[in-house]
Amino acid sequence: MIEFNDIKKSFTSGAVRTDVLKGVTFKVNKGEFAAIMAPSGTGKTTLLNVLGCLMKASSGSYLFEDQDIETLNDDQLSGIRNKKIGFVFQTFNLLERTSALDNVLLPLVYSDVYPADATKKASRLIESVGLKDRINYKPSELSGGQQQRVAIARALINDPAVILADEPTGNLDSNSAKEIMEIFKTLHKEGRTIIVVTHDINVARSAERIVYLKDGKVEKEEVLK
Amino acid sequence: MKIMRIASVSMNAVMKHKIRTFLIVLAIVVGIATLTVIVALTQGANKKIMQQINNFGPDAIMVHSGGGKMRGPATASEADLTKKDMEDIRDIDGVKMVSPFQISLDMPVKYGNKFTTSWVFGVEPSWQDAWKRGASKGDFISDSDNEQLSKVCVIGQTAAKELFADSNPIGESILVENISFKVIGILEKRGQSPIGTDFDNLILIPFTTASRRLMNQPLYITQARVIIYNPAQSSVIASRIKETLRANHHLADTEEDDFRLTTAGEIKKMVKGTSQTLNVFLWMVGIISPFVGGIVLMNIMLMAVSERKREIGLRRAVGAKKKHIVFQFLAESLVLTFAGGAFGVIAGVIIAILFSLTGKPISITWQPFAVAFIFSAVIGLFFGIYPARKAASLDPAGALSQK
Repeated sequence: MIEFNDIKKSFTSGAVRTDVLKGVTFKVNKGEFAAIMAPSGTGKTTLLNVLGCLMKASSGSYLFEDQDIETLNDDQLSGIRNKKIGFVFQTFNLLERTSALDNVLLPLVYSDVYPADATKKASRLIESVGLKDRINYKPSELSGGQQQRVAIARALINDPAVILADEPTGNLDSNSAKEIMEIFKTLHKEGRTIIVVTHDINVARSAERIVYLKDGKVEKEEVLK
Repeated sequence: MKIMRIASVSMNAVMKHKIRTFLIVLAIVVGIATLTVIVALTQGANKKIMQQINNFGPDAIMVHSGGGKMRGPATASEADLTKKDMEDIRDIDGVKMVSPFQISLDMPVKYGNKFTTSWVFGVEPSWQDAWKRGASKGDFISDSDNEQLSKVCVIGQTAAKELFADSNPIGESILVENISFKVIGILEKRGQSPIGTDFDNLILIPFTTASRRLMNQPLYITQARVIIYNPAQSSVIASRIKETLRANHHLADTEEDDFRLTTAGEIKKMVKGTSQTLNVFLWMVGIISPFVGGIVLMNIMLMAVSERKREIGLRRAVGAKKKHIVFQFLAESLVLTFAGGAFGVIAGVIIAILFSLTGKPISITWQPFAVAFIFSAVIGLFFGIYPARKAASLDPAGALSQK
């Protein structure tokens, strides 16, 4: 479903050119739970931005459900992010002073069809991540783990093709981290495709397969289950 | 509707950032209120000018004896217009009528032990049509009064009040410079004269009586009111009158006019001239101050954009297109400027009303509201578009990673 073929990305600042991704190739199949193990300084953020259609690669091809991402324009990329990708960030990225419910509904603001039962669907998702009684709480009234669960509910509201998590437990204590990873496992069991990008091997080990990134290239792949 | 959902995002942002909202709205309120007050004042001044022109009569041309630049009526002692002048003016194309009159300012008038001073006009019956004003009670001066040099008068209401208080003046006799005149009528009320004096403090007597008995001016005519058919021809006819009079008075090219002409256009120029410089200044202030409000808006919106980079990045990540971000921030600016415009126009109207209590003429029509609406829209769009585009042009990946 996701196919990276020799993806390269470099940045130019003045006369200095930095090659961050130097030809990354890997695949993620539908329904798979994959981890991309990338210690800091290996192009993790860049990989994630390209993977999340937030940035285009300098060269190579990126196929997303057989669609060549590199040929799309800015608006079409926004459409892909809206419909196909559910983001979960390290820093949660919830809107301040906005209820959990409205945070979960955020992607629907930009979708072409607004389902009639949107609020119901959002409530159900919040319930499924165990925050039924916190539906109207604002981020500042929630713990880190709870905020991340709201973020996961938000990622699911548009039934995306893939959930893309960037260091989802990086800002959490170990108990909360465990709970979050359990949620990902459950989602995987329900048939969702999940990619977690992390530098934490313990997080990566929750997945079925780990892609190791080193120095802008795939070093090796390891199948766990 | 997607557009409504994004608009409600803008509304929420306006509601949630109270201090920011307050500051921007305040800046716009000051600007729009200033503009509203200025529109109301200028409109009021224009209305007053129009009133003065109507008072003078847009179809009237006044011919005064004596040259120079002095405004106001000539007096009998400087009279130099002739009967021939009157006839020649009457023959000019487009002239409907000519009504000559003698005038003497501030004449002492007595009735019993009551005393006042009043303008005395020696008139013909045509005066009624020329000034569109007749006797509201009793009779007006007739042709036979003129033929017989009758000592009768029609008195204005201010003069009547001074001399007779509430009793009926008709049939009584008053003394004008020790000559006795019988009151035969009371003149319709008019209020202000074209030059702003009390136009009800006057006494009309027959033209001939004035010339020979009172003002000792049997040969010449002090003044005349010319009525023309078409007000648009006013200046053309005025210059014809000028040529005619210069020829009749045998004036050489180097000599100045020994008469003066006043048209509605000149009254307008005279009244406007005094307020012109002030008006230009006022309008400058009025237009600049909403723009200052716009600059405040742009400043604060730019700050808001840089404060909300992460929010913008997040919105882009979950699928907002560039145009959605532009729309969101532009709508925010517009909500703020329209709120400012609405409060501003209300504040402006209140201030204008306070001004009117001090006697300033104001006029509040639909215009201040239209101006406020247009300025709000223009400022919101003009000063809001740059911050909005700046927000939309942020690189989503970069914006997301902002602290």
